[in-house]
Amino acid sequence: MVGMSVLRSAAAFAARLNPLKHGVSKGNILSGTVPRTENVTVRFGSHGKQMFVIKPTEYYDKRFLRLLRYYILLTGIPVAVFLTYVNIFIGEAELSEIPEGYVPEHWEYHKHPITRWIARNLYDPPEKNYEKMMALIQMETEKAEMRLTEQDVRKMMRTKGDGPWFHLETMDKSLIDYSPKSTPDN
Amino acid sequence: MPDDWDKDVYPQPPRRTPAVEKETAFPNPALIVTKLFHYSVDLPVSTFRGWVDRLHERNKFYYYHQQFRRVPDMTECQLGDYLCYYEAEMQWRRDHKVDQEIVKVVQERLRACQQREGNSYQQNCAKEMQQFTEVSQAYQSRYGDLGAYGSARKCLMKQKHRMIEERQKQTAEA
Repeated sequence: MVGMSVLRSAAAFAARLNPLKHGVSKGNILSGTVPRTENVTVRFGSHGKQMFVIKPTEYYDKRFLRLLRYYILLTGIPVAVFLTYVNIFIGEAELSEIPEGYVPEHWEYHKHPITRWIARNLYDPPEKNYEKMMALIQMETEKAEMRLTEQDVRKMMRTKGDGPWFHLETMDKSLIDYSPKSTPDN
Repeated sequence: MPDDWDKDVYPQPPRRTPAVEKETAFPNPALIVTKLFHYSVDLPVSTFRGWVDRLHERNKFYYYHQQFRRVPDMTECQLGDYLCYYEAEMQWRRDHKVDQEIVKVVQERLRACQQREGNSYQQNCAKEMQQFTEVSQAYQSRYGDLGAYGSARKCLMKQKHRMIEERQKQTAEA
């Protein structure tokens, strides 16, 4: 507070000193003149006068790119680290001949460790798919054979008439009353 | 990987680097560049590769090429035996893949030969050329125009038509 009053008194003193009452300027205080600021060639050490460039907003584009990078790298970096770890520290398999009397598991036919893991834990062995397909084919062939034989049998029974399929149920013959027509005079 | 290829099939061309006879005191810029490349790129990469290979040597595991049993062909299947058809079809598909790879290998050999011989490839690559024409003609005659839905049955029918044409040609000549 005391400093403020000292400063204010110093500013008042400087203003009284200056004949043009402009505050303390760069002009020669002894001679009491002020340099003219209109026609002086000034050389700045920087990029020149700072301009206020009016251009359309880049906020939304920058925000989009920022968010894109963020969400890609959010899972991208862990995946890249994981893949680097697997490829350097675990490494790919080496090709070799199948040893005598050894039947390799279905995942041992793949090279990369991640493919092997997927084949071992997530996928069914290709032999299982093969057998499933063969089972389906077997069932369908049986059905087809059944249908063909059924058609054959129907045709035979219908034409020959001696099979059980095209018989209609008739009533018991012992219930028939032959009395109306038993004598020629009725 | 880089040292694994069959040296008989892909022979290295004879080296033609001349003996160095330096006539000036001016340093050879090619030598400088090669040395620079060696120390800045080759050495670090090779040491890293060596370290990774040593890591892999400790816990190795292997993969194999699957051997499939031969099953009866499409020609040996009874009519209406759909299981036999299925197995024959699968075998035919595997053989088709193998034949495609064979053609690719022969093509690769021809390409390597052409690259190796440079401008005199037409004389020096005669063997590879002949092998390639044989293999590709055989592939074309067996699997040629079967289309995208090619199957063992269609291939068999194609063979049948080929044999019929051959027989007709023979009877026409005779």
